[in-house]
Amino acid sequence: MRWFARRLVFYVFAIWVALTLNFLLPRLMPGSPIDGLLEHLSPAQLAANPGIVQTYEALLGGGHHSIGQDYVTYLHRISHFNFGLSTSNYPTPVSEVVGRTLPYSIFLVGVAFILSFVIGTGVGMVAAWRRGRFTDSFIVPAFMTVSAFPAFVLALVGLYFLGLKAGWFPIQHAYDSNVIPAWSWTFISSAFRHAQLPILVIIAAYAGGWVLNMRTVMINTIGEDYVGMARAKGLRDRRVMTRYAGRNAILPPLNGFAAQFAGAVGGLVFVEIIFSYPGVGYTLQSAVLGNDYPLAQAILVVLSVCVIIANLIMDVLNFVLDPRLRTS
Amino acid sequence: MAQLDPTALDLQLAVPKRGIRIGRIRVPGWLALLLRNSKSRTGLLIVGFMVFIAIIAPLISVAHPNDFNILATRQAPSWHHLFGTTDQGSDVFSQVVVGARRSLLLGALAGALATVVAAVLGITAAYVGGIVDEIVNLLTNVFLTIPAIPLLVVASGYLRARGMWTMIAVIALVLWAFEARILRAQALTLKNRDFILAAKTSGEPTWRIVFGELMPNMISRIAAAFVLVFYVSLLVDSGLEFLGLGDMSATSWGVTIYWAQVNSTVLQGEWWPFMFPSLALGLTVLGLVLVLAGVDEVSNPQLRTEHKRGRLVRLVFGRAAA
Repeated sequence: MRWFARRLVFYVFAIWVALTLNFLLPRLMPGSPIDGLLEHLSPAQLAANPGIVQTYEALLGGGHHSIGQDYVTYLHRISHFNFGLSTSNYPTPVSEVVGRTLPYSIFLVGVAFILSFVIGTGVGMVAAWRRGRFTDSFIVPAFMTVSAFPAFVLALVGLYFLGLKAGWFPIQHAYDSNVIPAWSWTFISSAFRHAQLPILVIIAAYAGGWVLNMRTVMINTIGEDYVGMARAKGLRDRRVMTRYAGRNAILPPLNGFAAQFAGAVGGLVFVEIIFSYPGVGYTLQSAVLGNDYPLAQAILVVLSVCVIIANLIMDVLNFVLDPRLRTS
Repeated sequence: MAQLDPTALDLQLAVPKRGIRIGRIRVPGWLALLLRNSKSRTGLLIVGFMVFIAIIAPLISVAHPNDFNILATRQAPSWHHLFGTTDQGSDVFSQVVVGARRSLLLGALAGALATVVAAVLGITAAYVGGIVDEIVNLLTNVFLTIPAIPLLVVASGYLRARGMWTMIAVIALVLWAFEARILRAQALTLKNRDFILAAKTSGEPTWRIVFGELMPNMISRIAAAFVLVFYVSLLVDSGLEFLGLGDMSATSWGVTIYWAQVNSTVLQGEWWPFMFPSLALGLTVLGLVLVLAGVDEVSNPQLRTEHKRGRLVRLVFGRAAA
């Protein structure tokens, strides 16, 4: 339990650092982002929202208050999810824009990343178990080669060949334009079809890392005595591979899940932009290019929190799977 | 985008003391060792080829990369325009070969800066231990938890000028943590060796032990970690340029892909403006990954693939596919 408490304290600290970075970044950079921001609002819009400039000053700096005062206001507003109004989606509040786009992203990266973990570790396990055979000498190099390409290249290649030329998948947006987002069968099936190609791209981009990682650990695990013992007992080959060697070899890759997931969230940004998928990544790019800093700030906070929550889930899973953590 | 986790890269033990002669040329020991491994040999060849192209770029580019010619827009690859032309009529081949210079240089410099930060912080923390180690370790983990790409996107969004050095500094500041974790872990294993204890008992100051004893003995690991961060920053930099958040007036692979995306050439069925710079980028990264994989195999022979395959497989994939 001590171990778990330590992790929790670390996550709280990490969120605090993310928030503070978010606070400091616009203040450290030369020039005041406030001017670029206010350019996007007309005088009438400014007059209609009397408190808007103060909100932006608290979030981004440039006001007349001291930095310490600003920091307190900033933390207070963030803790109430008050990120101000989004200038590029005026007059929608930032929190509403994030709330609308986040579910798409979570769905996309969640499904894709779990699938890439399952496929990658599975292939890596089989490759290590049957060294030098078909999986090891064809599928592993294929995964390695594909994963060497950045996500945005794979997305463009997939878009061109699988979407445009072969016409197997829809190439843009999260659902068909004539469908209204609701919990209906038409919407869900449409959303599912539109998510297929982005998910495929993320799997292609990230499964290779798991394959290599799992293969390396698995090769070392196979040499352990208990694997030889299981074999000597006459257990079936597949059972030794999955229940004995694989079960133990999966722990180190699982520990690397955190850093990999943070990387995949980065890849998600590119994939969403290329497929015009209305998630937070797509919104982040348009926010940054359109000087909508409050929205960009909020997305960075939300993505950091998402990564930390994913970490937390992985820690719980690790706790369940690794008895050594429970006894210590 | 980190694909490899070189936690146990140690060439030192396997490197022959003196160089090896191949014909008349004397090859340093580490290079000979890497050339003997099929993976790292292929990787070195690919990376070497890319660097060579970047060096001779002005000689082989047929036109100034940003020259436009409205009479020759959107042309498919032909003998006249090897990689076709963009919607402005610029020659894609010239953009790719000239862009190689900036992309490789920026990636290498950002990687080098991140390596310096990571080596100093990681190794010092491991050696000194105590509260310093706790703080560095905490910072490293925090930076690994905050997603790097969104952080970079937001940070470069605030920048007014996105020159080369600014981008190098920003990328290095975000990526150093990847390496610091690896180097710290490796320094911890060296920390209690006899030669370090000897240096300590003879009264050498901390900075001399870190820079004079630990670092020289970790040089191969630092180099391997540099290769890792080199390709990560290559990917990250091209990615930022692809998002329109780099120095968009420069010629580089990411910028070429950016314009291909902005002009939605892909949707119009023009594959060449994005495919060729993407291939160059992917090939370079693959080369660097292979070098790392080779280093991994050299230092951990257990990982080597046994050659059980037939002649045909070797013919198709080369020994490198092993």
